[in-house]
Amino acid sequence: MPERDLHLGVDVGATYTDAVVIDGRRQLVAKVKVPTTPKLGGSIAEAVHRLAQDPRVDPTRVTRAMLGTTRATDVLAEPSGVKRVAVLRIGGPSTLAVPPLATWPDGLRGAVSVGEVVVGGGAEYDGRAAGALDVEAIERFLDRVAGDAQGVAIAGVFSPVAPDHELAAAEIVCRQLGRAVPVSLSHEIGSVGLLERENATVLNAALVGVARSLAAVLDRALAAEGIDAEPFFAQNDGTVMALEHALRFPVLMIGSGPANSMRGAAYLSGVVNGAVVDVGGSTTNVGVLVHGYPRPSPRATDIAGVRMDFRMPEVFGLPFGGGTVVDPQADPPAIGPASVGDRLAQEALVFGGETATLTDAAVAGGRADIGSHRLSAAHRRALSPLLEIVDERLADAIDRAKGALPAVPLVVVGGGSGLVAPGLAGVTNLVVPADAEVASAIGVAIAPVSGQADRICPNRPEERERAREEASRAAFARAIHAGADPDAVDVVEVEEVPLTSMVDPAVRIRVRAVGPRS
Amino acid sequence: MRLDASNLPAVARGCAVLGTGGGGDPDLGLTMALRAVAEYGPVDVVPIEALPDEALVVPCGLIGAPSVASERIWNGDEGRILRNEVERLRGRGVAALMPYEIAGANGILPVTWAARIGLPLLDADGMGRAFPGLRQQAMHVAGIDASPLVLTDARGNAVVVYASEVSQVERLARSAAASLGGVAAAALYCMTVRDAGGAVVHGSLSRALALGEAMRAGSAAERVAALCQALGGTVLIEGKVLDVERRIDAGSLKGSATIQSAGHAGLRHLRLELQNEFLIAVEDGVVRAVVPDLICVLASDSGEPIATEWLRYAQRVSVLAAPGPALWRSAGGLALAGPSAFGYDVAYAPVGHEAADARA
Repeated sequence: MPERDLHLGVDVGATYTDAVVIDGRRQLVAKVKVPTTPKLGGSIAEAVHRLAQDPRVDPTRVTRAMLGTTRATDVLAEPSGVKRVAVLRIGGPSTLAVPPLATWPDGLRGAVSVGEVVVGGGAEYDGRAAGALDVEAIERFLDRVAGDAQGVAIAGVFSPVAPDHELAAAEIVCRQLGRAVPVSLSHEIGSVGLLERENATVLNAALVGVARSLAAVLDRALAAEGIDAEPFFAQNDGTVMALEHALRFPVLMIGSGPANSMRGAAYLSGVVNGAVVDVGGSTTNVGVLVHGYPRPSPRATDIAGVRMDFRMPEVFGLPFGGGTVVDPQADPPAIGPASVGDRLAQEALVFGGETATLTDAAVAGGRADIGSHRLSAAHRRALSPLLEIVDERLADAIDRAKGALPAVPLVVVGGGSGLVAPGLAGVTNLVVPADAEVASAIGVAIAPVSGQADRICPNRPEERERAREEASRAAFARAIHAGADPDAVDVVEVEEVPLTSMVDPAVRIRVRAVGPRS
Repeated sequence: MRLDASNLPAVARGCAVLGTGGGGDPDLGLTMALRAVAEYGPVDVVPIEALPDEALVVPCGLIGAPSVASERIWNGDEGRILRNEVERLRGRGVAALMPYEIAGANGILPVTWAARIGLPLLDADGMGRAFPGLRQQAMHVAGIDASPLVLTDARGNAVVVYASEVSQVERLARSAAASLGGVAAAALYCMTVRDAGGAVVHGSLSRALALGEAMRAGSAAERVAALCQALGGTVLIEGKVLDVERRIDAGSLKGSATIQSAGHAGLRHLRLELQNEFLIAVEDGVVRAVVPDLICVLASDSGEPIATEWLRYAQRVSVLAAPGPALWRSAGGLALAGPSAFGYDVAYAPVGHEAADARA
């Protein structure tokens, strides 16, 4: 029997779906790039199929399949696929001035919610109970939504400091609606800031079904090729989680795209501290690697017009990529925003098409050597000056991304990597690794498993010590639950953020533990 | 002037500008206010002449930790509780509420409270900008007593504070807020309309609205220019943030930042010192602007004001300076809210009239 040592990674991007197979030594065995289809299953099945057809890939040797996708958020644009959620907030009579989901667009709110309630209970900033948990009100609410609720989101005031009321409410849900109705608890999702944490918790509850259907899509694609592999799902910190964990925390999948490409860039280039530019078909993302992982954004994130508390990789986006349509005759010369998307090989000038794109400009400027048609001298003259604009905007984005760091190495990945030339300000050296065009799929394929936990405590040495231990234990447990090998989990990051203008000096301690997949 | 869904976002934005980097995020207050006017109708903003002389004006807002209010969000009924308690204590009717601080979160918060009890807001505040202290109030300068100060958590608890002198107000009010769960709605410096005439900064809400409206103009650069004009100020520098240093000291954010001018010729550097708010701007040893004048940092790509806690390396910014309220530029005002009140050993020089030899 052949050794079973292959891992498959798929990253579904906006324009292209990339997929790779790597072996036990994390060497690339095979890669494909296919256009992303409107229906989720199409491009995943196609990519897996083409990999399985590759003579270097023995499908029976594949043991793990990792999927990264932006689709978790796409669902919100057309919210018919989301679960119907009952929203339970614990904290009355406080908080009534802004009821749950008050900041959601009506359409999304109607699609997601079967009802909201605010009941008495919750905690004070120091963890003491603010009042008794109003069990009867919870029971009445659950009676009302029973039958309609496909999930329950629970957010209690100051639950990141004291989660007891959320846990007690979860017990009541379980007793009354049964174990089959999934419950999302806000203290497991976010930190202080009730509305943003509650919003993320509701979104999480709504996306449980998306996680399930993603799993089914992947399962079908694998089964069709005779691949019997355990599925993992990419999350937004550059690591993956097992199915069971993804079903509980689907919201963590949002933003995995940039994380995957940055992790892939780090792996392919060997650069662990530096900047990464990912040039796609219509957009370019600039981010920063710290110890091989994407640096998280310091701010809450807006998704579907709602502010949510979870941390995405910090990415500075530029609205152009390899397929972006340009007009050098305009004054000033126009770059985008239209893109030929995945039709570059039909429409770009260098492929004999009629549309001038940034890829044509890259060829005109001697940065790339692709295509089947020579550009006319007039086109070369007109197009190459556009690269100066591109360089200026890239240098600006890199400068903002790298922050106070001195000049950094720059890794360029993605299908349009030919657009980027050496000599940008703030960059020590430019690395365009081999297989850069499938970096995001490689990032998924090599990803370890992680768990993260937060604790808030008074800013005193002994309290900090205790909170660090508690957070570490919780992060370990979550990493193992997410699928990490219990014997090889390590704390990779401890972050302590003092909280401004809390009553007592307080600090939030966040611990991240990472390990290889068990 | 009436506040409703059409102009509240502009008021909130104006409050953020007047926060000069501090004062807290008005977003939550805006969300509340929009809900309140949708449900209870618009809020009238009136000049002092429109109110009966013997009725009371209630300056109000948040006391305590804004981050607690972002978690234990308001009930909404705080204004009613404060109004009822003040009427009971003072034995006369309340004619209007007023923000005690027009800046940041406190500027917009009383809109919700006023909407829900059908009272107008006096077009005024106690600061004309953001300040950290409860005695940096126009009412204090005018000799109005901060007591009796009423605090409530809208959970059935209220505390009334009588202080022997104004230096005790801060301490007592903050410990009362701490016992109410870290944050409280407060009414302080309550006064008759007759007394309020000479004891408040007039036109504050109109000003916030005008500033917010100015920021509706076209491109980011146009917004910065329009805002500068509306403030009657000058652009100190346009460039990028070269470094930022911040620390938390006794519950407030302190630090400094350096802005480097854009372009390659004749590099200039402007240093900003911050204590919750941007308080002093120094270039080549010369104070370009100092508290109580306003120092606003705006994002070059959007024209939006940037809070001190969100200023980051390499951000492209425009720094504006504008005259602070006249009250604070007087000798008495400067003693309470001038550079020396914040520990800066520099003489106050009004924006535009620059002083040499800063030792900031």
